[in-house]
Amino acid sequence: MYGKGLKPLSIATVVAFAVGFSLVFFYAPLDADQGFIQKIFYLHVPLASTALIGFVVGGIFAILHLRTDNNKWDAYSYVAIHISVIFGVGVLITGAIWAKASWGHWWVWDEPTLVSFLIVFLLYCTYYPFRYAIEDRDRQARYASVFAVTAGAFVPLNFLAVRMAQQLVHPRVFATSEGGLPGSMLLTFLVCFVAVALLWVTLVKFELTAKSASGQVNRLRRALDAPGPTGSSRIAPEVS
Amino acid sequence: MLAAFLPLGAPALPLDEAGKYVAGAYIVFVLLLVIYVGIMATKLQRIEKELREVASVAEQRAAESQAAPRRGPEGSSISDSLTPQGSRGGGA
Amino acid sequence: MTPSRVAFAAILAKDLRSELRTLQSLPAMALFAVTAFIIFRFGLDRTSLSGSLASGVLWATLLFAAVLGINRLFVAEREEGGFDAIRLAPIDRSVLFGAKAAALIVYLVALELVAVPIFAIFFLDSATALGPLVAVLLLADLGLAVVGTLISSMAVNSRARDLLVPLVLLPLVVPLMIAASGATEPLLALGGPGYHRFGTWLMVLGLYDLIFALVGWAVFDFLLED
Repeated sequence: MYGKGLKPLSIATVVAFAVGFSLVFFYAPLDADQGFIQKIFYLHVPLASTALIGFVVGGIFAILHLRTDNNKWDAYSYVAIHISVIFGVGVLITGAIWAKASWGHWWVWDEPTLVSFLIVFLLYCTYYPFRYAIEDRDRQARYASVFAVTAGAFVPLNFLAVRMAQQLVHPRVFATSEGGLPGSMLLTFLVCFVAVALLWVTLVKFELTAKSASGQVNRLRRALDAPGPTGSSRIAPEVS
Repeated sequence: MLAAFLPLGAPALPLDEAGKYVAGAYIVFVLLLVIYVGIMATKLQRIEKELREVASVAEQRAAESQAAPRRGPEGSSISDSLTPQGSRGGGA
Repeated sequence: MTPSRVAFAAILAKDLRSELRTLQSLPAMALFAVTAFIIFRFGLDRTSLSGSLASGVLWATLLFAAVLGINRLFVAEREEGGFDAIRLAPIDRSVLFGAKAAALIVYLVALELVAVPIFAIFFLDSATALGPLVAVLLLADLGLAVVGTLISSMAVNSRARDLLVPLVLLPLVVPLMIAASGATEPLLALGGPGYHRFGTWLMVLGLYDLIFALVGWAVFDFLLED
């Protein structure tokens, strides 16, 4: 039963966002260097961290799928990656808005984190055509899991390489200048991070519930031998 | 450590200009969320439609199996439970 | 149970012999590389390259030429039942992964034996950088081979095989390209070869090779299941 627990989860997410956004705009102090622009970070960074963790979680589900041969893990892996890709779109757009506000350009190659994220995002975008190209369902699920595992291993490597490439041109000034974020900013950030993480879990559960409902309808249809389109997607794994 | 996420020294924009960018970022977030809800709503509509079809097929089967062997009372309990409850199930 | 070395050697030998006989990948890869150099000469309107531009032209060309070879890597297996043969044979299936990757390394080295000297003749002023470049090339070849074999083995069973390989492979090899060109750029600098962070980049390449070789070895079994 995927829908169970969805209600308390959604309520928790709403509360977390209410508290988080209030903290962002009414409590967190103004950044000395960045000014008001810095407020974007309370949204952008949690989205990015959650998306990346989501990709790795998708890889872990994929490992479970390969080891147990239970297709539910493939569904979990697909949904985890799917939601993370959607969050990724948010990361790139908020990142571009921040770049425009800070540097005057919609995209800058100087920010290693944003560039690494773009590469990871592009890789996971290929997940969909990759799945689509493989017709046999079981094989598709297995290959998709291999992809998710390989891509999961790729994420840290990519960040390392891109960061190193940037260091040639721009030394990391901010790594040592501030000791860390002031406590009030840190608290705000943590609450926002929790809110976005909760949102991710809620959406994954939501998506799985919808898939499950669709799967039950198909199951009913098969049991009754009823005609009609099964309406099943060519790539999204079925949940029943 | 988190300070490493902050970009290198760019002069802070005046508050009214900065406000537009920040608002833009948060609006994009809300829009993405709403678009997602919209897409899921479409899926839900399709599930509802299919359930309705399957329900009517099941009703039909039940009616057929009753009409042939038995001439029992019409509107038996089986078809009742499959009929959507009054106004809640019917309608747009 | 046939020892893995024997199986590995057998599959590798079969592949190399087949390529030597049919010559379907190697000439195409080499020709493509040389033609691409010519296109770059005119596209960039440069007759001599150094530093980051030289490094970029070299690595982009090698990468796209490699994709040609990677596309064709498992075609024989697919069309002539090689996968079934491996499934039935009493060997560790990951040996196929190792042997194919080794064959791909051989193809890439052969490609570079042709393309790199021609690149030097076309664009470079001196050949002193070519010695240390060999180290970078070998490590990059290893990484390209393991990732290419992995992707190719999955793509060969799909519909849009020729599209899928470049699509999925290119993002995956970005860190490899970053490290390879990071090491090559100072080597091809105008004044003479430099070794700025050479060791670090080689280590990143080595790390990339290790991680993907392990991942490929671990998951390959699952790819061969029916």
